[in-house]
Amino acid sequence: MTAVETDPRQDAGVTEGFDVGRVVQPDRVHGSVYTSPEIFQREMDTIFRTGWVYVAHDSEVSEKGDYLTRRVGSDPVIVVRGKDGRIRVLLNRCSHRANRLCNAPQGNAGSFRCPYHGWTFSNDGSLTAVPMRTGYGEAFRQVREDLALAEAPRVDSYGGFVFASLSPEGPSLAEHLGRATRAIDRLLALSPTGTLDLRSGWMKHLHRANWKMVVENNVDGYHALFTHASVYDAVRRAKVSHVPSKVDVVVRDLGQGHSEIDYSAEYRKLDEEFVWYGRAPREKLPEYVAAMEEAYGPEQAHDALVVGPPHTLIWPNLFLAEMSVMYVEPVAPDETVAYTGISAMPGQDRFNERTLRRAEGAMGPAGFLIADDGEIGMRNQAGLAAHDPEWLVLARGLETDIEDDTGIVNADKSAETPQRGFYRRWADVVGQETRG
Amino acid sequence: MTTTDHTGQDTQQPAAPQPLPPVDPQIAAFLYLEARLADEGRYSEWEQLWAEDALYWVPFHPDDDPRRTLSYINDNRRRIHSRVAQLNTGNRHAQTPPSVMRRLLSNMELLAQEGDTVSVGSNFALFEYRNQQRIWAGRVLHTVRQGPGGYSLVSKIVHLTNAQGPVETLAFLI
Repeated sequence: MTAVETDPRQDAGVTEGFDVGRVVQPDRVHGSVYTSPEIFQREMDTIFRTGWVYVAHDSEVSEKGDYLTRRVGSDPVIVVRGKDGRIRVLLNRCSHRANRLCNAPQGNAGSFRCPYHGWTFSNDGSLTAVPMRTGYGEAFRQVREDLALAEAPRVDSYGGFVFASLSPEGPSLAEHLGRATRAIDRLLALSPTGTLDLRSGWMKHLHRANWKMVVENNVDGYHALFTHASVYDAVRRAKVSHVPSKVDVVVRDLGQGHSEIDYSAEYRKLDEEFVWYGRAPREKLPEYVAAMEEAYGPEQAHDALVVGPPHTLIWPNLFLAEMSVMYVEPVAPDETVAYTGISAMPGQDRFNERTLRRAEGAMGPAGFLIADDGEIGMRNQAGLAAHDPEWLVLARGLETDIEDDTGIVNADKSAETPQRGFYRRWADVVGQETRG
Repeated sequence: MTTTDHTGQDTQQPAAPQPLPPVDPQIAAFLYLEARLADEGRYSEWEQLWAEDALYWVPFHPDDDPRRTLSYINDNRRRIHSRVAQLNTGNRHAQTPPSVMRRLLSNMELLAQEGDTVSVGSNFALFEYRNQQRIWAGRVLHTVRQGPGGYSLVSKIVHLTNAQGPVETLAFLI
């Protein structure tokens, strides 16, 4: 870690008297937001304990009893569909002596039995059995009802994407998502059933970088020509040019920390289907195209197939990576796990198989793109060890940002508009008064 | 000759496990060559080992059905070519500079033989140095075909011990 103790300028991370203005300004961020253990802890306490965080997709827990173990910030959780059909996010900790209750990545169970002393909890979180209960006195019997598993007080979903908030109060999920619902709608518009299936498995890629480096990079329209030159030189041309002046591709701060790179204007100008899908001709995808036309009619289907999927970051931890989905779990200031899966379309096996192979080509630890993004993130983290200059510059396009009813838009795809939106939100959330 | 079937000898009790036959030294030598070319980042030479109907697969789990499940790597011949072409640019950042590697291929067993094609199962341990040393290990299944021009690699399936992840960047030839 950096020497935070000896440098008063980097003391901004301590809980008391945290002045967020000392680390985030409109056109720059201080290096300590990526390195300071205190700031990392503060992010866990604010972003991940007070706001909405993506936890799972409802297709992954489609049957009663289906569960997954995930994390919300640093809290391990069980995402489970209970006997009553409701999805809950239970904290993965036995209420007796704190043993991690559920140790499988996924499964189906009516109840969870702690292997330590046998306390058993229903999949709705209630405590249903305490072995040898006569050993407990009256005082215990009075508190027993309070010994259910802790759970996220709020769980809600949009378009099948399930979010949890560990805070009982705050904006609703709809308020939190704001304009980002349009990105989810855009993805669902590519499904003949209007639903998605996220059960194709998850690549789990360890990044030696701060979680914000990993997510910010996904909406950075500036780096591709450089970071990914080896792909465009040796494998295939970019789907459309990465030179900003040559394309109608915009970056957009959607508000509330959500942001995107939007190719739709360029694709509509080309009026060509599947540019976003390796320019596959529709003849190669006959079942999928037929199902789309059946569901939406030829015109609407054509438009959806031209416009393609979103390239949108949903604050704080979900990235709709076109036909892939990525979410991140922060581990430490310099360590992040990125989970990558695909949006499969129910009933479209051949199309989905193609999507799988495309995702493997681009994404994850061996992917032609993301392996290099991971390397760049690691080097960014390494570069931050140099203490001077203290700030990272996010000024690109500041003077050419235009606000309209879709958000703050910049017609230059290489503008750092998404990052500025991300850090404006970050400052609001991380800079808030904490309970201490 | 099929050598994988050990069942059905005794209906009362399963037969005791039997050792598998050893691997022809020439095939073992071909697999050592594959390992050495991968270790030394001799990408184009490594690519020449592959047959046209190639499969280079690193799944999450041995039972995964790749038609329905994502993998870390699932390359056909064309994608192997692309992977090598990207590495050959010298601008594949995750391998610039390339990892220094040495791998051990051991416990080699003949799993099946059909005509000119043999399947070999081995354990491997790979020591990779790039900024720091990492150890990769697992089971590797090779399918090798003998043709008029010598041996070619039809498939290489790598079951990583840490496939459940998280997995560090894997931009070298595993």
